[in-house]
Amino acid sequence: MANGTFKIARNKGTGQLPIALLTALAIALILIGKAQSTLFDQTRASVTDWAAPALQVVRAPLVGLDRWMGSIGEIFSVYRENLRLKDENARLRQWRNAAIVLDNRVKRYQLLLRAVPDPQLSSVMARVIGRSNQPFLQTMILDAGKTQGIKPGQAVIDARGMIGRIFLTGHHTSWVILLTDLNSRIPVRIEPGNAQAIMAGDNTDAPLLDLLSQRVVLKPGAQVVSSGDGGLLPPGLAIGTVVSNPAGGYRVVLLADSASSEDVNVVDFKLKTEQPPTTTPNDLPATAAGLPPAAPPAPVTAPVVNATPAPATPAPQPLVKPPATQQPPASPPENGNE
Amino acid sequence: MERADNIMGGRIFSSLVPGVLGILGAIIANFPVSILGGLVPPPLLAFMPLYFWAMVRPDLMTPFWAFVLGILQDLLTGGPPGVWAAAFLAAYFLIDRQRDILASLSGIGAIAGFAVAALTACVTASLIVGLYYWHMPPVAAMLVQFAMTVLFYIPGVVLLGIVHRRLVGPYRSDF
Repeated sequence: MANGTFKIARNKGTGQLPIALLTALAIALILIGKAQSTLFDQTRASVTDWAAPALQVVRAPLVGLDRWMGSIGEIFSVYRENLRLKDENARLRQWRNAAIVLDNRVKRYQLLLRAVPDPQLSSVMARVIGRSNQPFLQTMILDAGKTQGIKPGQAVIDARGMIGRIFLTGHHTSWVILLTDLNSRIPVRIEPGNAQAIMAGDNTDAPLLDLLSQRVVLKPGAQVVSSGDGGLLPPGLAIGTVVSNPAGGYRVVLLADSASSEDVNVVDFKLKTEQPPTTTPNDLPATAAGLPPAAPPAPVTAPVVNATPAPATPAPQPLVKPPATQQPPASPPENGNE
Repeated sequence: MERADNIMGGRIFSSLVPGVLGILGAIIANFPVSILGGLVPPPLLAFMPLYFWAMVRPDLMTPFWAFVLGILQDLLTGGPPGVWAAAFLAAYFLIDRQRDILASLSGIGAIAGFAVAALTACVTASLIVGLYYWHMPPVAAMLVQFAMTVLFYIPGVVLLGIVHRRLVGPYRSDF
């Protein structure tokens, strides 16, 4: 192990110039990567597509080993855990019944109010075939890609809540940027109160909450859901709960556990952009009301001298003009009530 | 003649061993499957051959190899390009300047020498990422990766020593 046992080849392949040149090249790459963030993406996607079968093969025994190692400590708490789960299950059944009743009521109200229905979401189920926990990047690799209709920006959720969003797609694989990642910033809503905020990951387990309004005071335990602002993510996706940050501000404890998720859903949310109707002269407010269009303003020929000058040009026609066909004024019905 | 060809082939092979081991280290470390369920960041396995041969055989582990291994690390981690390349070059610069001192260390001192070089790489990468995103990454994750790298270097240097003696060492010529 002693390094001193090895002799050194001197003055071969060293020198400061190559280091300086290569460092300049590396800095240039960083700057180019900053300007064009998709510099490596195609290569990464190709490498992941190529390595996907190997990942699936290698992952299977490791997942088994991981579960086995994780379950060693759980053996001693099985009885207590079973009681806790039974209690939780009973409470969840009650909540489920309440949710069904409320859901039906909301649907009935929407029908009565002729409210715009919520956009339909379609999803693709995918399996996690890889996880990368780097100091500067936290990602996940899924076994579904472009061929399954996955697109960058789509939300990734598991049974508990949102995990992250797709940032790179290959043909058969896709990369997910986790909500905890340093690069993750998504618009969220905090309920109750409907406070708007940006949830920013900082590579810790609980992302930071950057409130858009400084006057808002949140209560720990408030629910955080996606706001849907920007039209990229569907609104109302469950994300987590608010906790106070010891260093000031708030953080979000995520509902989903990306470390243990095996099967996830990639949500395809496409908010149809509403096209404005093409305007015609008849659509102008005056003409639609049966009135002629307003005359253009008369050109000013002389400066105004007096406070109440006499009009130099004929007065413009009044905007409101009786319609060509006089309608009888509306009157209450006279029959039958006398 | 045949003997000369063998010697030439052997030299080419031995000159490729450090770089190939570095590439292998980058691939293994960044393989997106973790036995520990991603609890800790993977060690910088690519940095171990880089440090080892940059110290004892800089003719085989040139700055170009440091750049290539860094770019590969960037590519496989999914991070912005050039970050680890610059970080590895910064560490290489340190090794290049302090080669005599680092090579003379043994035992715990050798590990400490590697730790200084690895810390240089990790801190440089953190600073670049902080400037890149205009937001400093958490120091804890970087320190854990640094600790893992140093921990893995202890058995790693034994393995690298064996590889050096068996595959690279016999073909050293200019000592």
